[in-house]
Amino acid sequence: MSFSATQVKDSNSLPGGDSTSRLVLQMARRDISTLFRTPWIIISRSLAFIVQLFVFAYLISGFVVKFPNYFEYYAVGSVVGTIASISFIIGYDIFEEAEEGLLDYLLTLPISRRQFIIGRALGGAVRAMIYTIPMFVIVAVLEKFSNPLSLAFAVFDLFLLAFGVTGLSITMAVSVRSANRFDVTLALLELAVSRASTALYPLAFMPGYVAAFAPYSPVTFAADSARDVLEGTGLNLLGIAGLLAFVAIFLGLGATFYFRRLEGGVYA
Amino acid sequence: MITFNRAGKRFGTLDAVKDFSLEIQDREILGLLGPNGAGKTTLMLMMGTVYRPTSGAISVDGLDVVRHPNDVRKLIGIAFQDPRVDGILGAFDVLNWHLKMTTGLNKEERTERVEQVLRAVDLWDARKKRTWLMSGGMRKKVEDCKVLAQRPKIAVFDEPTAFLDVPSRLLMWKMIRELREEGSTVIVATNMMDEAERLSDRVAIVNLGKLVATDSPERLKGTTKGGEVLELIVGDGQAFPRELLAQFSEVRDVTQVENKVTVYLSSGRLLLPKIVETLTNKGVKIDSVHLKEVALEDVFLSYTGQRLE
Repeated sequence: MSFSATQVKDSNSLPGGDSTSRLVLQMARRDISTLFRTPWIIISRSLAFIVQLFVFAYLISGFVVKFPNYFEYYAVGSVVGTIASISFIIGYDIFEEAEEGLLDYLLTLPISRRQFIIGRALGGAVRAMIYTIPMFVIVAVLEKFSNPLSLAFAVFDLFLLAFGVTGLSITMAVSVRSANRFDVTLALLELAVSRASTALYPLAFMPGYVAAFAPYSPVTFAADSARDVLEGTGLNLLGIAGLLAFVAIFLGLGATFYFRRLEGGVYA
Repeated sequence: MITFNRAGKRFGTLDAVKDFSLEIQDREILGLLGPNGAGKTTLMLMMGTVYRPTSGAISVDGLDVVRHPNDVRKLIGIAFQDPRVDGILGAFDVLNWHLKMTTGLNKEERTERVEQVLRAVDLWDARKKRTWLMSGGMRKKVEDCKVLAQRPKIAVFDEPTAFLDVPSRLLMWKMIRELREEGSTVIVATNMMDEAERLSDRVAIVNLGKLVATDSPERLKGTTKGGEVLELIVGDGQAFPRELLAQFSEVRDVTQVENKVTVYLSSGRLLLPKIVETLTNKGVKIDSVHLKEVALEDVFLSYTGQRLE
């Protein structure tokens, strides 16, 4: 084997202005591509979702007499709940990479910690969107949601939720060192964020101790905002503002703060 | 140039690296020689900005690793001791993605570069096989190939030939030398004496997180305590009476690891019968005697008091 004389120049010419966004996108594509390596997961989850919707949701909506059209409420909410759950997976991925040493390798790549976390969060969020879009389409067809603008805003809500949850999940993954503690923490967080929300049941029907927290859950912001826009009630600015704040806190502030400490190599 | 200036790394109460100072010249192959746990990997990860030094400073091409981590990362490629490859990807995809992240090469150039290294290490036919299905040796080759394909200004290999058979080891050494010839500075961490000796321009012996000696392999051997080594295997459990050898001015040092006694000396051929006679007269049971030139292993033993096995 012989090498060409282009050696060394390649590395030095890497960090251009546009290469920064290129590296973020490459990092995101890496996470997105993992989804397509196991397409059967999307197919099986979509089938499970259909069964859940057509068996469980129809059955339950028959029992719920106090709340008219509960099926539609449940259908939209279950998509929102699913995207939140899927978005948490990136944290497990990163924690596993840390345990296997792959994170050490990724941290040696010429990408800043901030770009790294944005790329991973973006990849995790897009992955969750791709994963959930078939379910969203099923619900849209079933409920005859056909206004393109409403659908676009609902998708935007879902994306903001996914982006924020991935930021939260990554922040937890790089903060908690013990595997057991991480599993428990993330599972409890996922439970709290999804269940203490208006994704599957309205605030008025919740016990007081859940109703006290549910309005502040990002899943509530996304579910309420998506329902409002799909049902034609209009833009739920409070919900969107809540989601933006959630993204800013956990992706922008939380993770960046952590990775600013990490920059230079405090990770050990 | 890479400069370690009294660099240290502490994990809790453990000093993994302590007061480590070393300069590595451009286009040099430096062998970092030390037993497992000596601090070699920590040194490399500090240089690669994964770990932050807790004391001292490290600079790469004049860039401080703490203040300019991202600029430093652009100069370095690290092949880890345990392969850090995405198990679900094939070798081609692993290398292609690595080049996407570390070089400005276009698709054709990347493909050409990846094909070149994979063919060289005889992995081209297995390029689509998921790496988690590969043998340890194949995975190790893929790990090394990341840096060989990247051709960074500073190439770091941690135990580059672990798990490799003899022909593959020789090939890997050749490719690492070629990398240097193309302009890279190469750092090879190893606990294999022959690798350090045959590959390195200079060897840095590291033990317990400290630099204990550094020079070319030949000079290290040439300046070590007489130039000859007498190895004695004595009876099990027998305390070796070192003081008996103090009468010989040609004997420079004596070390003992279990029942193997190593005597550093000069004029070994003349002295050998006298030493054996002196010891047997005092009741020392000698099972075998071997006189040889100093090897790097002996140098390591004399500096650290332990063997690399």
